[in-house]
Amino acid sequence: MTVQIGTALVPYGHAIGSEKWRGSELAQGLYGKIQLHFEEALGMVDFQLPNRLCVLYISEADLVAGNAFKRRLVRIRNDSNLHTIVIVERTRLSEQYFPQVQKFIALELGMNMLPVANQSEAAQLIIQLVHSQSKEQQSNPFLRKKRSQLAEPSILNTIQQIPGVGKVKALLLLQYFPSIHQLSKASVQQLEEVVGRGIAQQINTFFTQQR
Amino acid sequence: SSSSVKLTENSSMLCVLADSREISSGPEVISCLKMAHAVKVEVCSLNGCDYIVSNRMAVERKLQSEFVNCNNRNKLIERIQHLQNLFERICLIVEKDRIKPGETSRIFQRHKYYDSMLSSLIAAGIRILFSSSQEETAGLLKELALVEQRKKAGIVVPTEVKAHKKDALQFYLSIPNINHVTALNMCHRFSTVKQMANSSVTDIASYAQVSQQKAEEIYRYIHYVFDSQMLPTASVGGKAR
Repeated sequence: MTVQIGTALVPYGHAIGSEKWRGSELAQGLYGKIQLHFEEALGMVDFQLPNRLCVLYISEADLVAGNAFKRRLVRIRNDSNLHTIVIVERTRLSEQYFPQVQKFIALELGMNMLPVANQSEAAQLIIQLVHSQSKEQQSNPFLRKKRSQLAEPSILNTIQQIPGVGKVKALLLLQYFPSIHQLSKASVQQLEEVVGRGIAQQINTFFTQQR
Repeated sequence: SSSSVKLTENSSMLCVLADSREISSGPEVISCLKMAHAVKVEVCSLNGCDYIVSNRMAVERKLQSEFVNCNNRNKLIERIQHLQNLFERICLIVEKDRIKPGETSRIFQRHKYYDSMLSSLIAAGIRILFSSSQEETAGLLKELALVEQRKKAGIVVPTEVKAHKKDALQFYLSIPNINHVTALNMCHRFSTVKQMANSSVTDIASYAQVSQQKAEEIYRYIHYVFDSQMLPTASVGGKAR
């Protein structure tokens, strides 16, 4: 069975579920919160979400049954087109398998894996996953563009890491050698004219000493 | 290109940095890493980071009770954003709280905030692992370090810095958005600080073991022309008005 994903894009706020999920507790949990459609030929994937995000569901029964679920995961993993999240039922019964399952899925295959206690929890999680795909990038606090800051306070601090150089000397040095690069190239003679012999020597040693 | 230290790929020894605060919050993690997993652990102050397991990956260890609490939302966001500035890869380990003797185990109430936070983290490429104990966390840290080592990103430089290099380390650490391992790489691979300050972007990327983008940031900083007028007036030395 090949991994078939419809080429149609899933619109925001929608999800496509494999036909086998019709009537399930998980599907019940999704009604009214997102638009759910069923499709016969979703292949090995359980749910397809917006932005090519796919959800695979590993039930307690799958885990207890043995390693067959792993083959399915490997095949999906090899389809590099898909971004996948594996939802795993972590129950009293499947608990003993959890550490090695996590190691296999998250560490060896490098796939995202999230545990749930049951189908109802899985539904809540899928709702949030759908919402996180729908929101604009700016509303995800971890995708916000980094605010740029002026470098001046940092540079002043960096120069003061040179032994013998305090804030006053640092400001003075930066007047004559306005970048770290330029300061690093200054000769002892050039430095002497600005900060005196002793400190000039210390600065030169700091930059040129082989460590 | 000369380097002052001969660096050999030690394929058997994994190396992890741990923040000194983990000694009190996760003592079993560190001792388990050392004893059970034979990982070299260097404990030092890591500036807002719990563990560093490779040249490019930070691991944040969070107790489940803390992670689940929506009052901690801003603190968590700030912390992760800080790590995003410093590291290419981030992994979050959510660890079950230890049950104190006499306590009954907490019922974990899962709710929208938790799922929403997990979704946002995943959408941003942050990996999430789940642990039920400090010992298990140690095992996960070791596995992460191992995966990174296989990808040639393991920490191979010495993690201690002898007296005569300490000032160079502090200098490198003061560069914005540089993590502790990057500073160590610079310390041990550049033979002089002058060499570092006169390196090309490509050389910085190679010596510091950072991405091209990060190397460009560092290069720009080193070549940035200082304008004292850009300082907030309070920070300029001299008498207050």
